[in-house]
Amino acid sequence: MRDVVLVREMASGDDRALGTLYDRWHAVVHGVVARVLRQPDDIEDVVEETFWQAWRQASRFDPARGAVQTWLLTIARSRALDRARALRRRRESPIEGDDGEVVVEQAAASDPGLDAEATERRQIVTAALSQLPAEQRQALELGYYGGLSQSEIAERTGQPLGTVKTRMRLAMQKLRSQLQILHSEGGP
Amino acid sequence: MTDGMTHEAASEALEALALDALDASERAEVLAHVAGCAECQRELAALERTSDELALAAAPLAMAPAQRDRIRARLLARAGADRAVAERAFAEQRAESSGPARPSEVVTLRAPRRGMGTSAWMAMAAGLVAIVGMGGYMSARRERDALRASLQAAQAERGVRLAAVDSLRATLEDKDRMIANLTGAQVAVMTMASQSPTSPTGRMFWDQAHNAWTLVAHRVPMPKSGRTYQLWLVTPTAKINAGTFMPKPDGEVMVRATMAMPTDSLAAVAVTDEPIGGSAQPTTAPMMVATAR
Repeated sequence: MRDVVLVREMASGDDRALGTLYDRWHAVVHGVVARVLRQPDDIEDVVEETFWQAWRQASRFDPARGAVQTWLLTIARSRALDRARALRRRRESPIEGDDGEVVVEQAAASDPGLDAEATERRQIVTAALSQLPAEQRQALELGYYGGLSQSEIAERTGQPLGTVKTRMRLAMQKLRSQLQILHSEGGP
Repeated sequence: MTDGMTHEAASEALEALALDALDASERAEVLAHVAGCAECQRELAALERTSDELALAAAPLAMAPAQRDRIRARLLARAGADRAVAERAFAEQRAESSGPARPSEVVTLRAPRRGMGTSAWMAMAAGLVAIVGMGGYMSARRERDALRASLQAAQAERGVRLAAVDSLRATLEDKDRMIANLTGAQVAVMTMASQSPTSPTGRMFWDQAHNAWTLVAHRVPMPKSGRTYQLWLVTPTAKINAGTFMPKPDGEVMVRATMAMPTDSLAAVAVTDEPIGGSAQPTTAPMMVATAR
């Protein structure tokens, strides 16, 4: 059963569809959440909350705006960043996650747990990221997975704020161009 | 344009906005501009799609089976409960809108599906919110009432326990004080003599440090009806009333009084039989007496 059908069934109150969606995507969601958070309890909570939010908002999912996978991962990242920022405020400590190292990995020829379409989508994104200069990728990832603002990234990396802004902007422009295929008709 | 940010400055910040990487103040400024700029809105929508796709780069990460199953079980339990509430609310709304159904009209009610019209869906959703909200309110209220009752019970129990502790503490302090009154370094002990046929015996303990007097006596007969015993502290110039008392049925007496008196002014301690309420001065001969030395 395709993801969009599962989400439609979830919207109609079919909790079995939620179970199927979870079985299909939990490892991917877990991967995103674990990039942002480090504590197992936090990770477990956020993974659960990601799917719970998907269940509650299934009726609002619009396939025209993107794939179910993207929708789920956007929820996962958002919830994980919320948790990380809350933890940071509470602890007055640096946000969890990567400390600036570039961690983009090349997608494997096939990722366990991903179907062919999802694997291809991931390969496209990781390939686009890997083509970015390291400093641009770093700025992007600190913002995206670290939840840091540009000024916080500047402080963290010791780079001028203007430099960080430029790097982030250039990185996004390149990615936007590279990832157009994901949004085109007949794309993965 | 009413905001202070130029279109150029705002458009240069859209990438960071899409990544949610702007400081709060700058974010507010950019959003204020975007709200009134169709070009920036289109640009931001496209950048947000790019941003959303970035999550695909994270490698899948297997969970421990126990953790994976635990989350799944919780999710399905929550979803099942959620569905049951929705179905019940939907059924109740159907029942309310159609009135009592005759047996032939009873149908299996299903949860709402996407095929419903938007207005019907919205109306039902509003109904669900109200019903679920009311259910939540009632549930919360019951829990609050239960908690309040528990709190009151706990406070009452705590009060009883505190009272018991206070009582024990007071008793203990009293016993300590009594022991001090009887055995302290400055306690004078006087043996009471008696001419009574029951041969009562007794001792007066005078704790001079605390001006405390303790009379302990045995085999003291019960006074006649309308009568009581009265304790007197006798000085060369006066007989001072130290209070009245009744013996216990077994003849035991323990009388305590507090009265300051110069150490060398006490001549004797006496107990007389007096009318109920006591007398200003002794009206009978002492039934017990001890002479101070």
